[in-house]
Amino acid sequence: MGEIQLTLKAIFEPESIAVIGASATPGKWGYTILKNLLCNGFSGPVYPVNPKATNILGQICYHSVLDIPGPVDLAVIVVPISHALAVTEECGQKGVKGIIMVTAGFSEVGGEGKQLEGKLMGIVDRYGMRLIGPNTLGVVNAHAGMNASIISKLPAKGGISFITQSGTLGLALADWTMEMGIGLNIVVSTGNKANVDDVDLLEYLADDKQTDVIAMYIEGVNQGRKFMELAKGISKPILAVKAGRTRSGSKAVFSHTGSLAGSDDVYSAAFKQAGIIRIENIDDLFDSALALSVQPAPAGNRVGIISNGGGASIIASDTCERLGLTIPGLEPGTRARIKELVPKFASYSNPIDTAGLASYETYNGIVKHMLRDPNIDALIVIYVHTVMWDSRIPANAIVDIHRGRCLKPVITCWLGGAGTEAGIDILKAAGLPNYPVPERAVKALASLVKHHGFLEKVKE
Amino acid sequence: MNGNEKRLWKLLGDWNISTLTMATASSAGMAVEVAKILGYPVVMKLLSPDITHKSDVGGVILDLGSDKEVNDAYHGMVTSVKQHLPKARIEGVVLQKMAEPGLEVIIGAKLDPQFGHVIMFGLGGIFVEICRDVSFRVTPVDREMAREMILEIKGSPIIEGARGMEPADLEAIIDVITILSSMLEKNPDITEIDINPLIVYSRGSVAVDARMLVR
Repeated sequence: MGEIQLTLKAIFEPESIAVIGASATPGKWGYTILKNLLCNGFSGPVYPVNPKATNILGQICYHSVLDIPGPVDLAVIVVPISHALAVTEECGQKGVKGIIMVTAGFSEVGGEGKQLEGKLMGIVDRYGMRLIGPNTLGVVNAHAGMNASIISKLPAKGGISFITQSGTLGLALADWTMEMGIGLNIVVSTGNKANVDDVDLLEYLADDKQTDVIAMYIEGVNQGRKFMELAKGISKPILAVKAGRTRSGSKAVFSHTGSLAGSDDVYSAAFKQAGIIRIENIDDLFDSALALSVQPAPAGNRVGIISNGGGASIIASDTCERLGLTIPGLEPGTRARIKELVPKFASYSNPIDTAGLASYETYNGIVKHMLRDPNIDALIVIYVHTVMWDSRIPANAIVDIHRGRCLKPVITCWLGGAGTEAGIDILKAAGLPNYPVPERAVKALASLVKHHGFLEKVKE
Repeated sequence: MNGNEKRLWKLLGDWNISTLTMATASSAGMAVEVAKILGYPVVMKLLSPDITHKSDVGGVILDLGSDKEVNDAYHGMVTSVKQHLPKARIEGVVLQKMAEPGLEVIIGAKLDPQFGHVIMFGLGGIFVEICRDVSFRVTPVDREMAREMILEIKGSPIIEGARGMEPADLEAIIDVITILSSMLEKNPDITEIDINPLIVYSRGSVAVDARMLVR
């Protein structure tokens, strides 16, 4: 573990935490953060610090971090800005290793705030501490049961770590992942990135054993070149939404290149060259992250589609084509075996349409034969719910095959809302990513294919 | 030519990017003598340290085919510029042999504050200006990346010989992109550069015009 990882460990995996500016008033951030740290299963001591209180939420409250008897790895600072520098200085004296500076009013407001941030960094550097923020909404480590943020609930444990430059958006997304049942590991709101920036975080998450996929919401990076070099060396998938898609470049029209190379074009080129999957929309970010966190990258872009309804498979095929995925023909042997499993009038060439049939034997058999076909790199299994079928039956049919951990990714789309939940639960439990519409399933698969391409060509 | 322009053409020459032979003249008589040596047809461009957009003031005349045309063009150009911009200093003209027609492409670069030099490739004319059909790569750009960025633009079939044209020399374009990438690495003060147009033939290419900004 490098020096950066060691110092950041105090922030992401601390053994003890102080909340400086803890409050007994519900609704205040100093209350919310303390409560979140106490109520989510964090195993180490959590110390409230506030000179005006002696007891908060049943905990002894210290007047200063210097009064705390034991060592403190991490300090979450939620004080008014006028006290921010003084308490940071005390943290340095105490030997605190990491700081999460929730307090705002620094460089993001310009002028005096910028100067304050400079002074803050002076203190942090003098004591060799590391700092997230300022102006951050905090950090979550789901596996450690640590919620040092104002996110209302601890997300489910999973392999996706999320770096977000927008605090509020990060919160909204974290809430959304809970609703979708997506598991997260680290969530970090970077704030102003005065000390810990994207490069540090990428480096840390690349080595973090609990992180399988790194998802990012970026407004801008500080060290573009270093960021690219680092990303190139990370084999874990990195997904990024880059905000601010301005078309025009510099206003001066000296050269064509100068006027055409907008910062967005440059980010696109840089991401491609660094093997970072650029995601257009926020809603696609976690769709893709989910697929990448539970499924292997396919060896190529040849997709097999199975559906019990023609319409859904046509949408899936069209989306595949639009995103550069192909729908190849099957081996004669595969076709013959599938022909046995579907009604006479059904389609037994790719995309397979079972003409309504969704029995265990049909789905189990088709998926098995398709996975064995050398022409197929990945599978999209669609089930359109009708009252004639139980959504659990086709789910069990493919889970029973998938249990064997195959090397080809399988993406599912149980479509039809009410009545599909029971089937979807079975799929989720088996690590099969499920999407409510075919387009989303295909987009997620396209990210898997992209990542494979990066592993082959870009990643070092 | 100002110092920056001199440096630009010297750089292109030093890095083996082929350019057209050019020579300066400070009178109509001298322009005719120079044109004879270069061989007709020639292009005449105004030489003034005060004017960047020469074509806007009648400072670029193409396809001059005889001594008389060169003589008349010189006088016409000087008169026109004096009318438009009476204060501009006129040092004379630059003469260049007309380039043979071929496929016009643009290769440029810009210094990005976060990522450093970024190279752009596109087809010339409306393809760049109207269609914005261009591709980008952050330097350093190797041959494989250069090939990728050329084939990535929508108009790439034109390079491979659409519309009854002979295929353009893809390797020659790759040469210029990769040379530019190395050149920028050695010249970090260049903030913007355009080689526009680079005319590409079935074998080889020539940089007909270029401009550069340094910090």
